[in-house]
Amino acid sequence: MIEIPMPKHSCEKLSFRLERFAERFRKTVDAGFCACLTDNAMGSLTFQGHEVMRELSLSAPGGQVMIHLNTFHSRSEFMEILDTCAEMNVRTLLVISGDGSARLPKLRPSDIGMNNCETVTSVELLRFIRHAYGDTFQLGAAFNQYEPPEHEREKLARKLDAGIDFVITQPVIGSHPEVDRLRDTLKIPLYVEAWMSPKIQLLSDCIGYQISDCDDFDPLKTLNCLHENYPDSPKYLALVNFSTQFDVLKER
Amino acid sequence: MKIAVCIKQVPMASDVKTDPVTKQLIREGIESVMNPFDYYALESAIRIREENGAEVIALSMGPPKAEAVLREAVAMGADRAILLSDRRFAGSDTWATSYILKQALLKIGVVDLVICGKQALDGDTAQIAPGIAAQLNCVQATGVGEISLSGSGLVVKRLKDRGYDRLRLSLPAVLAVNKGVNVPRVPRLKGYLKAAEAQMTVWNADDIGADYSLIGLNGSPTRVVSTEMVQLRRRDTKIFTGTAGDAGRYLMSVLSLKGVL
Repeated sequence: MIEIPMPKHSCEKLSFRLERFAERFRKTVDAGFCACLTDNAMGSLTFQGHEVMRELSLSAPGGQVMIHLNTFHSRSEFMEILDTCAEMNVRTLLVISGDGSARLPKLRPSDIGMNNCETVTSVELLRFIRHAYGDTFQLGAAFNQYEPPEHEREKLARKLDAGIDFVITQPVIGSHPEVDRLRDTLKIPLYVEAWMSPKIQLLSDCIGYQISDCDDFDPLKTLNCLHENYPDSPKYLALVNFSTQFDVLKER
Repeated sequence: MKIAVCIKQVPMASDVKTDPVTKQLIREGIESVMNPFDYYALESAIRIREENGAEVIALSMGPPKAEAVLREAVAMGADRAILLSDRRFAGSDTWATSYILKQALLKIGVVDLVICGKQALDGDTAQIAPGIAAQLNCVQATGVGEISLSGSGLVVKRLKDRGYDRLRLSLPAVLAVNKGVNVPRVPRLKGYLKAAEAQMTVWNADDIGADYSLIGLNGSPTRVVSTEMVQLRRRDTKIFTGTAGDAGRYLMSVLSLKGVL
């Protein structure tokens, strides 16, 4: 799986940015990877995967597209995303709580018919989608091995109870004991995330914990290491550089 | 009905820096965004149009790059946008800016309603809406938390420290809206595609018939005498979701993991 960041909300060089997105999308899908489209990652406003795919007539052959879906939507937009994904044959969703921003609305429990909870998290979204759409979608959830283990394990148990089909970790550098434990115990596919940017500090900023302080982080070496440590787990590649790394990945 | 919405491009709040010598905001190299309060003003205008029919005109005074926020306004739903841009506008205080905006409003023609955000994030004065009303010599309401058209005028709820006033206003009127007035829509790709192609009207001082003695530093009765930088403490923020119990347990775990407990 290769993550493709969505173009941000702006008119500046819009055609160019959309074309570049389409090129990356096609390259990814043509090479046999699954294209993973983000949902306002880090709270930055970007176009939605389904609307860009529709506008640019990009198709999702053979389940090679996964769309991230978080809790920061209005009900009408949320339902539109699900219905459009189903129509466009996008059958894989990574359901996450997401990062909000002052500009983004947040789904309320009543929006998804959940009146017995105070707030909507990924668990409530998973339950709703499974209930409303049956087996239309393969549903995935995130596992953050950097969070307090007890809390994260309990959250994962609730996600499993909500009917997820696969789990994706946060970026792993080398190996991580919580991911090892999950690999050994999980009965559904576990995707191990690889951080493909040389800027490792960015990862620390994203997750809120210091990961590594090395100055010469080599993403491709780290990916090799992940293949050795987790040979049976498929990989989810974040922040791939399409100019310098994509062809190398394709060769492999 | 014509509704003008005044929009300002401001530096991204997290990036704001001040020149230690001139005491002015450093705008070069800083990401600029639409003043957050202006989204509420724009949404108010669009909702009035959707319910009653109107033309919504986004209006901004600023350098050429301020065109970006006007295009965003069109993406959100404004019918057209006008940029007031001229080097002679530089250094205008809120009174001179109100005069420039008033001149543009007169050039647009009969504008029934002017809506502004409560204040701009950079200057924080909240003086533009009252300034325009004074310049136009028309009624105004600030701190507006609810708007409805009523007969040939408006009824607005004006929020106060304790409670609110309900006011009936005749048109034309100027409003400054608060954040709670609505939930602004987030523009979609189709809106941005339309906005990218939209024709942008740019007016300079001559186009709006401005009196040079009333614009820029010359036309500004106020001066920034001194400014002081406030040193903010660095803070890490983490938002805990889930139930109150879950969030509490999570908070304890995180504090423990970070060695605070």
